[in-house]
Amino acid sequence: MGKFVFIVPPLTGHINPTLSVGAELLDRGHQVGWISLDENLGAQLPEGGQLLLIRYDQNDQEKSNSEQYLDIITKKIVYGIESIKFLYEEVLVPLNRHMFDGIVTQLDLFEPDVVINDHQLFAGATAAYLKGIPYATSVTAPAAVKMMEDLPKIHEWEINQIIALQKELGLEDEKSVACSELLTMVFTSQDFFGAMELPGYYHFPGPVIGHRKKTAAFDWEKFNASNAPKILVSIGTTFDHAYKSDFFGKVIEAFGGENIQVVLVSDPDLFTEWPANFIVQSRVPQLDLLPHVHGVICHAGHNTVSEALYQGLPLVVIPIAYDQSHVAGRVVATGCGVRLNYRRFKARHLKEAVQEILSEPDYKASAEQIGTSFREAGGTAKAAELLESLVLHKAEVTLNR
Amino acid sequence: MDQLITEPKTLSNDEIFGVLNQFITEVIGEEFVDEMDITPDSSFTKDLEMDSIEIVAFSEKVKIYFGENINFTGWLSNMDLDEIISLKLSDIINYIRLCQ
Repeated sequence: MGKFVFIVPPLTGHINPTLSVGAELLDRGHQVGWISLDENLGAQLPEGGQLLLIRYDQNDQEKSNSEQYLDIITKKIVYGIESIKFLYEEVLVPLNRHMFDGIVTQLDLFEPDVVINDHQLFAGATAAYLKGIPYATSVTAPAAVKMMEDLPKIHEWEINQIIALQKELGLEDEKSVACSELLTMVFTSQDFFGAMELPGYYHFPGPVIGHRKKTAAFDWEKFNASNAPKILVSIGTTFDHAYKSDFFGKVIEAFGGENIQVVLVSDPDLFTEWPANFIVQSRVPQLDLLPHVHGVICHAGHNTVSEALYQGLPLVVIPIAYDQSHVAGRVVATGCGVRLNYRRFKARHLKEAVQEILSEPDYKASAEQIGTSFREAGGTAKAAELLESLVLHKAEVTLNR
Repeated sequence: MDQLITEPKTLSNDEIFGVLNQFITEVIGEEFVDEMDITPDSSFTKDLEMDSIEIVAFSEKVKIYFGENINFTGWLSNMDLDEIISLKLSDIINYIRLCQ
């Protein structure tokens, strides 16, 4: 049996897919660990999964402040293309630099057969590469791959940031090793990703959403009591309160008192009062909930979009930052929903957009088609098979160095 | 036989601005444009609040319209992150003028 280790950043959207794939690997009798900075990850791991927590000597001032990296992405209000600069310069590069030594230590202790690095945790790939351990890459934000085509200079800029850090960490090569040339798993289907020429080591196992622990309680009674159409509203986990009050204020204006049941993911304290037709919780059992709603309003975060489309649900997408603009572009291009501009949209646009996706059957039909492509892509079982193939053929695996 | 000879038309700054303004309207929607004060000094990211997918859609339109004479996509795709962030309408007008 194999020994696998995931190396994850403290970002929910990047961790969740690894929990599904990891659970599947554990079911198949493998040993699975997660290298992380966040001790709270332990409670989310599937039965049998091992948390390999990065800990630095508390006397070392440089490295004692791991906590500050856990919510580093929420520290600044960012929007649009500028957010990419923030993401690399103020989040990813410092985070990767901070995690590198701890990753190396944990790899030495755990001695995995295969490393799976998140595509934005290039320090994980660098460590595996330097140690000669076969590694696969988990791509949880596929639009980042697509950016190579649309805005090549921005992609080049990203790669240069990665290469500069790799050099600092002792890898002299002039190429980014962030995505494994053995196996790079893009967690979507090719239908949703769109046409693009990619090397053969890119695989599309579809979204991986099975095997999750149920962690959030939910007011099912209130939810089921409503006969109105139901929508889920979420802008994910990385945006702070300023974004949320702005965004959810418009949601309240659009749907408060209307004949629609709104489930909204937010800290309920954000507003002193919510409309009676709203259920507001800071965490919801999203995967259990989606089969019972009719549409989703979200920030075009890749996981929420994938989970909605998996259930064949039409979307209203309002991208805020990072790769979300591109994910939203794919939602529109595949006919699965309507896109609004975060800075410009007003309550009435949101209301019209929701009416449109709920009343026009083409959106639902397109979403169901993408949902089918997701299921056919193989999901967790396919991802686990791909990873197992790296252990089975470990002897044959020769790294490029 | 009489033949109407059409010289390749050279557009003035104002005319180019008018065309670009029209494309911006098509990309972000008329009702939003009405509330904006679009000038040659407007930047795509800060002033017009366009995100990357909107900038790509806009550049497609410019490419199709001016296609024959200018390599707009090539020009844009050679911009680095900072240049795209600070890109203004006047930069595009100047580039098109230069190519005409």
